[in-house]
Amino acid sequence: MTITGIAGEAEAGHISVRGLTKRYGDLTVFSKIDLTVRAREIVALVGPSGCGKTTLLRCIDGLLPADGEISIDGKRVTEPPEGVAVVFQHFGLFPWKTVYDNVAYGLRMAGVDAAEIARRVPNFIGLVGLTGFEKAYPYQMSGGMQQRCGLARALAIEPSVLLMDEPFAAVDAQTREILQFELLRIWERRPTTMVFVTHSIEEAVLMGDRVVVLQGRPSHIDQDIDIDLPRPRSRETLSDPRFAELRERVWANLMNEARRAEFQLGA
Amino acid sequence: MRRDLVVRYAPFTLSLIVGAALWEIGGRYTSAAFLVPLSETLVRLEQLVQSGELVRQTLSSLALFFVGLGLAALVGAPAGLALARWPALRRALDLYIMILYATPMVALIPFILSLMGFGFAPKVLVVFLFAVFPILYNTVEGARSLKPELIEVARSFRSSEWALWRDVVMPYTLPFAMTGLRQAIGRALVGMIAAEFFLSSTGLGQLIMTASQNFDTGGLFAAILVIVVLGVGLMRLGRAIELHYARWRV
Ligand SMILES: Nc1ncnc2c1ncn2[C@@H]1O[C@H](COP(=O)(O)OP(=O)(O)OP(=O)(O)O)[C@@H](O)[C@H]1O
Ligand SMILES: [Mg+2]
Repeated sequence: MTITGIAGEAEAGHISVRGLTKRYGDLTVFSKIDLTVRAREIVALVGPSGCGKTTLLRCIDGLLPADGEISIDGKRVTEPPEGVAVVFQHFGLFPWKTVYDNVAYGLRMAGVDAAEIARRVPNFIGLVGLTGFEKAYPYQMSGGMQQRCGLARALAIEPSVLLMDEPFAAVDAQTREILQFELLRIWERRPTTMVFVTHSIEEAVLMGDRVVVLQGRPSHIDQDIDIDLPRPRSRETLSDPRFAELRERVWANLMNEARRAEFQLGA
Repeated sequence: MRRDLVVRYAPFTLSLIVGAALWEIGGRYTSAAFLVPLSETLVRLEQLVQSGELVRQTLSSLALFFVGLGLAALVGAPAGLALARWPALRRALDLYIMILYATPMVALIPFILSLMGFGFAPKVLVVFLFAVFPILYNTVEGARSLKPELIEVARSFRSSEWALWRDVVMPYTLPFAMTGLRQAIGRALVGMIAAEFFLSSTGLGQLIMTASQNFDTGGLFAAILVIVVLGVGLMRLGRAIELHYARWRV
């Protein structure tokens, strides 16, 4: 599978979040978040359900206003910036478009010419293993297939920043593994900045250069753990003793918080 | 395969035969001023076709029907999109739309007559008024049901406002507008006959009126038969169009 535009990627994709606070009426989702993601870095974002992971991604993409400051490559984000693509937790496929047209959508919006679209779209459909389903509509596919279609749509615009909201939550365990390593391969060939939300600690440690733990009420960045596993990462990484060590660390951290929350509820 | 078809269409065919037989028998045992047998109706139908009268009047009715319905679609769908997009406009006009939708349109015909007189235009207006509201209403409700998440996806991919309409709002709303169109077809048929009765008398409506004034019961039923066939055909067409555009809706 060939991916276009590999050669010498620019240093684009530096995300800077400063003092970000998001409120919905009386509810403060998170407060005073500071987060820097360097170009080509993968930050895995974990935290309990409802702690504001999706909200944070939406803010970074400029879809949601919040107090504080977000900039990408020094440019303040006020609306969805160029070169940033989102894989949505709810897939966000257009039900009246086929797989092909869904994957082509971002390219068309970016003004890519038709010949180039016709060249790229089949590549990315193949990349996520949907070859043969080009003409299928979302309702004709399983949740996992829809999620992969959403992934292809985001990858197709070859963004410098990928914001992924639990991109493998709906796929089965085997497909999930295949896609994890596929995504790592894609990243090796064309490293992009990624913020990767997941509920799986293993996945967070496998993918991330850092694992950032978002928790509390309102939530804040509770831990920022460096994952010093060598790249390229592959299946072998899973059996690295260091992998197990780091996984336990993240796990213990999340469990502590869960216990604290439980005691608070009990009191 | 053959057997399947037989099993499938047997009840329909049977009920058609029974219906025709009842008409035939009923016609023979009742006064000709009230009902004539099917056979006699068909003979009269044949005469009307031969004279060219029936074809001419049917075409005249269909012209009225399609111009009125077409205008209703051309006005109703864009107006519906606009009302869905701008809530202030919707709140301002909601009451009037409700009133017009709820009013039996026939009640407006004398007013249209005094306003516009006889001719083609006032009749088109009647068909239009009968047909436009289901299209408008379904389009508004459809466009409003578009999930905000999908608009967010479009924004995330930096869609322009025009591209948002072309790629998201309009294709999403189209099947709803088509449901409106199907409902509008039935109402436009009623509007067509009503206009031909109460305004300048033309088309199939006129055929019915003259037949009934001349106690030509055969001619009357021949005209009704044509209207029924047209109605069923157009409704079927509307249903097919609706289904075609609703493929992705589950
Ligand atoms: N539009 C909204 N209006 C009001 N509250 C909202 C809105 N969107 C999200 N919230 C609240 O913000 C909080 C964070 O939601 P968010 O979807 O970001 O959580 P999350 O961490 O992504 O959870 P999950 O892991 O379940 O996806 C939740 O308490 C949610 O109820
Ligand atoms: Mg979420």
